[in-house]
Amino acid sequence: MKFNLTVNGRTAVVEAEPLEPLSTVLRDRLGLRGLKEGCCEGECGACTVLLDGAPVHACLTPGFQAEGRDITTIEGLGDGPGLLSGIQRAFVEVGAVQCGYCTPGMVMAAEGLLRANPDPDDAEIRHALAGNICRCTGYDSIVRAIATEAASRNRVSA
Amino acid sequence: MGQVHQRVPLIDGAEKVGGKLQYLADMTMPGMVHGALVLSPRPHARVVSLNAAAALALPGVIGVWWHETVPQLRYNSSIWYVGQVALNDEAMFAPVVRHVGDRVAVVVARTAAIACAAARAITVEYADLPAILTADAAAANPGSVGEGEAPAFCNPIDHVKFVHGNPDAAFAAADLVVETLVSTPRSHHCAVEPHACLAYPEKGGRIAIVSPCQSVFAVQAVVAQATGIAEADLHVMKSPIGGSFGGKAEPVLDPICAFLAATLGLPVRIVLSRRETFVATRTRSAMQGRMRIAMSRSGRIMARDTVALVDVGAYSTGGNYLPGSMLQRLVRLYDVPAERYDGRAVYTNTVPSGAFRGYGSPQIHALAEISLDLAARELGIDPVTIRARNLVAPDAIEPWQGLSIGNGRGLDCLSRGAAMFDWQARWARRRDTGRFRRGIGVAAATHINGCYPGEEEATSVRMRLLPGGMVELVSALHDLGCGSDTTLAQIAAEVLGLKAHQIGITPADSDLCPYDLGTRASRMTYIVGEAVRRTALALAGEIRVRAALALNEDPGRVRLEHGLARSEEGEMSLAALADWMIGRGQTLPAASETYRASGNPSSFAAHFAEVEVDTFTGRVAVTDYLAAHDVGLAINPMLVEGQIHGGIQIGIGYALYEDVAIDPETGQMRADSFARYTLANALEMPPLKVLLVEEGEPSGPFGAKAVGEIATVPVAPAIVNAVNHALNTRLSDLPLLPERILAAL
Ligand code: FES
Ligand code: FES
Repeated sequence: MKFNLTVNGRTAVVEAEPLEPLSTVLRDRLGLRGLKEGCCEGECGACTVLLDGAPVHACLTPGFQAEGRDITTIEGLGDGPGLLSGIQRAFVEVGAVQCGYCTPGMVMAAEGLLRANPDPDDAEIRHALAGNICRCTGYDSIVRAIATEAASRNRVSA
Repeated sequence: MGQVHQRVPLIDGAEKVGGKLQYLADMTMPGMVHGALVLSPRPHARVVSLNAAAALALPGVIGVWWHETVPQLRYNSSIWYVGQVALNDEAMFAPVVRHVGDRVAVVVARTAAIACAAARAITVEYADLPAILTADAAAANPGSVGEGEAPAFCNPIDHVKFVHGNPDAAFAAADLVVETLVSTPRSHHCAVEPHACLAYPEKGGRIAIVSPCQSVFAVQAVVAQATGIAEADLHVMKSPIGGSFGGKAEPVLDPICAFLAATLGLPVRIVLSRRETFVATRTRSAMQGRMRIAMSRSGRIMARDTVALVDVGAYSTGGNYLPGSMLQRLVRLYDVPAERYDGRAVYTNTVPSGAFRGYGSPQIHALAEISLDLAARELGIDPVTIRARNLVAPDAIEPWQGLSIGNGRGLDCLSRGAAMFDWQARWARRRDTGRFRRGIGVAAATHINGCYPGEEEATSVRMRLLPGGMVELVSALHDLGCGSDTTLAQIAAEVLGLKAHQIGITPADSDLCPYDLGTRASRMTYIVGEAVRRTALALAGEIRVRAALALNEDPGRVRLEHGLARSEEGEMSLAALADWMIGRGQTLPAASETYRASGNPSSFAAHFAEVEVDTFTGRVAVTDYLAAHDVGLAINPMLVEGQIHGGIQIGIGYALYEDVAIDPETGQMRADSFARYTLANALEMPPLKVLLVEEGEPSGPFGAKAVGEIATVPVAPAIVNAVNHALNTRLSDLPLLPERILAAL
């Protein structure tokens, strides 16, 4: 089937199988391979993208259901060509990235959280990450990266 | 110092966080085709026939291969180089399947989806054979496993016995003898990236393999053995890796991809599903252990008597090294005057085990550290005090291999950690009696630094100055996500007066890099780091000589700092130096060194945990955690902390949740998905505190030694000990599932 997808502000026509998940549509049909697949059953969160600003597991979302909605992937986050966004910089600077395989999904989950809740406490951050598995970092540095970024956004907007 | 002992962010961090780094499943090639595996649903059976008609009829299917159509060459996936002694018991596809999830066939198709559909359309006829599904059954039936088998399949596959001192006399003289049984589960690495491999034909009839692996040379050796393709015709390149923890140390898919690429003349990629990664790759071996400890009233260990039975699963892999490895770690922690050890490894018809962070260390430490805690309880001695009375001192000689433990600082970890954790006050707290009960626990641990003396610990590094002022570093490096590329770049940069990101690391490539054993055995920082430091020193010498000419100065008066070659007379950037030399037709400075280690010091750790147990549900929450680590010197404290944090996550799972849960009746794996195999997530992980003990290891680069593996070793016993403290129980079967806790109350 054919449908339109708006990804990172650009609209594209895609041709996909009827129930093809958004993760393979983005990866294989649109070449956006920043999002990863770790389980394809909604358990690891490596495939997290934003749908109208809220994080979803792209492997469980049929691609056509994203038609008419605003999809943001890791490729759409940077502050400009070749530039990282604040949340991405925070991840690197506090050591919240190791192998990097969970990272795009973690960053999108973090971005989704901060859009909904600009001033989360640690418990809220951990809650927002409950659907994302990281086997490398123990989550501690990821929580710190998100808290750091939240604080710096709040400083800027204050 | 400029770069060493600094919190330098990962040199490939921006690529990773930007989603730009291409992992194997992100790579495609023109004409690439996809493989999907058919896996055995039976624990032990002869593959009688295979009907692929329906699969081959699907549009887009290219072919099906099984044991009748692939070379029947036996190999061992754990070897590191050709000629390494190992039990060759595995085949790409064998006539007999030996565990649920064993490989039966592969389908190749134009797309991965078609290949999966075709794999499901294949019907296989099996003739069941008797299956051995528990280590007990295997131990009770020594000898050949199943009729008509290759001689390799013989139980036990290894049996190590060791006696030191006079255990019998010590037990007879002891004030107290405590015996403890401990069992540890079959756990899985759960790297978030599933296993994957890509192979394609190269010019000249060679086969290129791109693999998220821990050693390109190991892949080359294993694939040559499994497929019969000459080593010289295999070109192996490392791809970025989405976590390994030992799980990708052994090539599983690489022989098949290489064979198919050679047969079809096409690029072939296989990416496993999550379930396949659980059932068809590797796990941590399960252990059943019994330890008797002879104690003096004052809390000195007088003797230990240890029996360990390790279930390595359906193929030997490196399992025949496990009993010895466990012994090696056991005797490095405490000063024990008399020791008896009996370790056996056995085959069962269950998923194979392989390397996994610590390689036997978490198992043997669970046994030793839970046992010691229970002995301390009977003596009425504080768990910290009893450890302090027995920990080895720096420069002790361990009794098995007779090696020095180096500047091992176990005692500092314990005493400084206990102070920071406020252990004494917390230990003195009155025991809870309500629904929620808190307890604290401690465990100490040690681990090795490299493979000496078991293997030649020699590695070679080449470095050279490039036009533009960057320095290229060539060694067969595999950063598994632990940040070893960044760490090694920091070491080189420190010597050369550069920044870490000015060191360009060539990813491991069997055609380009000198041989190295790979990222394993806690050897990257300690062994390869020292090789890098020495090579950088040699290169710095070369650069100084050249710069001295350019600056009209004596080489001894040229310093390398801030990217410059400097003297009293003037200064120039390394880029300008390179230009100056190129303009004069000179070869740019280069150096190459081989470093051969002649020791294997110990790293140490002491971990402190607080738990809260819900006595209604049996659930355990880890509420506070401190890890004290003897790292010699942290080249990059941020990455060291990251390693420790990640090790704790794996260890908490090992203590509380993780078990692939093989049904002892059917051999089926019950926890073969992330839905059923529980990992500690962000909510379950406590905030983590790290204390680094940095007293310097003289033989390590800038004093550094290993941290990656040991970080996970003491975690499970620290938590089990905390639960036993909270509940006044003697729990010792891991993981501490709620039903086990409720049963003990
Ligand atoms: S790949 Fe979507 S949740 Fe794991
Ligand atoms: S950084 Fe490796 S899984 Fe999170």
